[in-house]
Amino acid sequence: MLAKTVTGNFANVIHGLNANHLTDQVIQRSKRMILDTLGVGLLGTSTEVYHKVKQYSKIYSSDISSTIWGHLDFRLPPLYAAFVNGVAVHSMDFDDTWHPATHPSGAVLPAVIALSEAFPQKKKISGLDLLLAFNVGIEVQGRLLRFSNEARNIPKRFHPPTVVGTIGSAAACAKLLALDRVKCKNTLAIAASYAGAPLANAATQTKPLHIGNAAKHGLEAACLASQDLQGNKQILDMESGMGAFYTDYSPQSLPTLQSYAWLLDQQDVAIKRFPAHLGTHWVADAASSVRRKLVESSDNLLPLDKIEKVIVKVPEVKYVNRPNPNSEHEARHSFQFVACSALLDGSMSVQSFASENIQRPALRELLCKTQLQHPADNKPSFESLYCEVTVGLQDGNTISDRCDTFYGHWRKPLKKEDLEKKFQSNASEVLPAEATEGIIETVYNLEKVKDCSILSMFLSGQSARALSEKLRLL
Amino acid sequence: MILDSIGVGLMGSTTPVFDIALQYCRELYSSVAVSSVYGRPGMKLSPTLAAFTNGVATHSMDFDDTWHPATHPSGAVLPALLAASQMLPPSTKPNGLDFLLAFNVGLEVQGRLMHFSTEAHNIPKRFHPPSVVGTMGSAAATAKLLSLSMTQCAHALGIAASLAGAPMANAATQAKPLHIGNATRLGFEAALLAARGMEANPVILDDIPGCSGFSAFYSVYQPKPLSTPSDHHEFLLEKQDIAFKRFPAHLGMHWVVDAALSVRNLFINYAGSFSPSLIRTIVLKIPVSKYINRPFPSSEHQARHSFQFNACTALLDGEVGLSSFTESSIHRQELRELLDKVVVEHPEDNVANFDKMYGEVALLLHSGDVLTGKCDTFYGHWRKPLSRESLLKKFRSNASHVLPEEKVETIITMVDNLENMSDSSQLACSL
Repeated sequence: MLAKTVTGNFANVIHGLNANHLTDQVIQRSKRMILDTLGVGLLGTSTEVYHKVKQYSKIYSSDISSTIWGHLDFRLPPLYAAFVNGVAVHSMDFDDTWHPATHPSGAVLPAVIALSEAFPQKKKISGLDLLLAFNVGIEVQGRLLRFSNEARNIPKRFHPPTVVGTIGSAAACAKLLALDRVKCKNTLAIAASYAGAPLANAATQTKPLHIGNAAKHGLEAACLASQDLQGNKQILDMESGMGAFYTDYSPQSLPTLQSYAWLLDQQDVAIKRFPAHLGTHWVADAASSVRRKLVESSDNLLPLDKIEKVIVKVPEVKYVNRPNPNSEHEARHSFQFVACSALLDGSMSVQSFASENIQRPALRELLCKTQLQHPADNKPSFESLYCEVTVGLQDGNTISDRCDTFYGHWRKPLKKEDLEKKFQSNASEVLPAEATEGIIETVYNLEKVKDCSILSMFLSGQSARALSEKLRLL
Repeated sequence: MILDSIGVGLMGSTTPVFDIALQYCRELYSSVAVSSVYGRPGMKLSPTLAAFTNGVATHSMDFDDTWHPATHPSGAVLPALLAASQMLPPSTKPNGLDFLLAFNVGLEVQGRLMHFSTEAHNIPKRFHPPSVVGTMGSAAATAKLLSLSMTQCAHALGIAASLAGAPMANAATQAKPLHIGNATRLGFEAALLAARGMEANPVILDDIPGCSGFSAFYSVYQPKPLSTPSDHHEFLLEKQDIAFKRFPAHLGMHWVVDAALSVRNLFINYAGSFSPSLIRTIVLKIPVSKYINRPFPSSEHQARHSFQFNACTALLDGEVGLSSFTESSIHRQELRELLDKVVVEHPEDNVANFDKMYGEVALLLHSGDVLTGKCDTFYGHWRKPLSRESLLKKFRSNASHVLPEEKVETIITMVDNLENMSDSSQLACSL
């Protein structure tokens, strides 16, 4: 069915994609993303921003409710479950990143999981339904990002998850709700009116809300559309539609459904090894490597007092250039902080951002000696950027190293063991071992799961033993 | 403004878009239902959802007030304040003066923000202003009503910025009313989050090159500080009044309608009666604005945003009112025939700006004669404000669609005496 507009074409594709279209690679990559996102979200339930948002959301409660990851003690209406879980996912900037730049999973997964629990008893959502809806949400985001050249680089104006993430969540929920083509179009239109948050709230406590809101508002748009609310049927086509968020906007139709070419097949995501802005991962690898060299050449000790200056060559990205970060949110968005932290400790971890570590004197001293440089050939794009760290010593010697591709980037993906290790380390902060094992098993076998409510049950930490039994019987 | 906004909202509670919003809110939320819903006495919702629903009602028919620079100020602020007033415990209910103050803080912030960009002076093209400044105004107003600290007020603005901004393309569709609904609701949410300690970028309104804050919504942005209120603060509302609509359509329509009515009178004098067959061409002289230039609208939302439709309806019926936008009115044959005769011109001196634009309707008759009507300032515009009688007539006509006469009069009395009310939540309770 040929649509005359890009919007109509999107609606057709959202409506027309089915499980047979999913390729193995897409399924594999999706599962990795899903597992990582869940772990990161569970860990995030320990953050202050999460706590505030949870308190706030508790003022809403109703009969229909969805799981709050990591909590058995209360549930929330699907919309607020999506919000709260979304905030959890992005609370530490630990979630996945794609190219062109956005955080794709956090905007979609919390919404589809929350929605999957909101169906009446007799309707079961299978793992395959969830996988398909998830991928519709990811795909739509990727396609939208390709409508503008601006989107290829690290953003400056609008935070991408709030632009494409909201539409992605909406599309995914429309898919799960099995809305017809017309309602899919309206879903996209309504979602557009919720999209777009300025970048300036990055590196603040409000940033995690960007993902939470993307998930929540996308879900809301789909719900309103399912009740027949109508919007502009050419929302993706018009400059005054989605084009409002870009200075150059050129929408195009999606590939034919005959043999659908998913973007996730061609372009994998990056999974973070520590909770900070993706740009800092190059810095961490380069700095750790410089530290190794330094230590080797100095009797296995780090000659801190002999360091005169630290030069970090990175692309120009204003919101990650922070010479003196004070809060955890600022530290996660500071090239300088990660360089110094990695030099001091040899590697980055969740603990690197604890306030005692942010404020330690040795780190503050090293920060004073650190400066950034922006070589002309270092482009602000996650596909091509690099980092070079040079430590200048008092005796005039310099030690340098460069990182072109950090471990976890799509060019050097995390191995299965390391992905699982990250998940376990995160999830075990809030869930018992049976639940974390249950989630891993369920996600790895997602396409065979008949009723994905089991995933939600593990996520809430429910009597895991009984559920593990249930899982074995699948 | 408060009276008109309430009336328009009550009227709006009869629309399909309102039904959808209400249905949606009721299904998902039932707890902490303390805030009233326009036109549904006895029904309550949680505060932010009541604000959402009432905001949708207010803008559902494009009947609400408009300011210069262009936005719909009251709809973004009033529903949140009404809902918030019912949320506060009995011991801390805001009085009428508190309410009036909060309302004005919400308006003032909207006006000041619009002055930060020259783009904002003209009819918008990219983002729908209520979704940009309206959200901020609501955050400011509710922060004021809830007595947040200075720091919390700053964070409320920061959080609200991340909830602002809807593209113009949904204007003239059923989704447009959501822009006001969400502005008032999300600004309210931002204040509630700030009250609970949520922090955002403390310089969100400043110009930060390389990392946009509120400036993201404009291509030209020059923020200026307000003078700190000492004894005397000059509110923008003092210098620049509001326009109230006489019929439920985009503000631009009001110029062409008054011009059309004027030429209609000339025509009736000329021909004895309104005889469309004598007309060869209808020429409309209007400013350039894509989203209100629609030769053949097919829905009520499109009709409310069509110079052509409103001019022809005025010519045909001698007035434009609520019933002009029903399905049968939109599709009637005589109207379609008139629409066929319309051509549109964009004189250079007709700027797309609510302070400067004009409307001109010329009837080119088969006989060769030309009759013209022009309107520089329609009745209801800030330069020619509605009289008290006209405003009350509009309110009574709207409100009586859903409320009995005593309630209608009670609201009028309450709003008239707002500054003397000891418990302003009574206003919300009376809806």
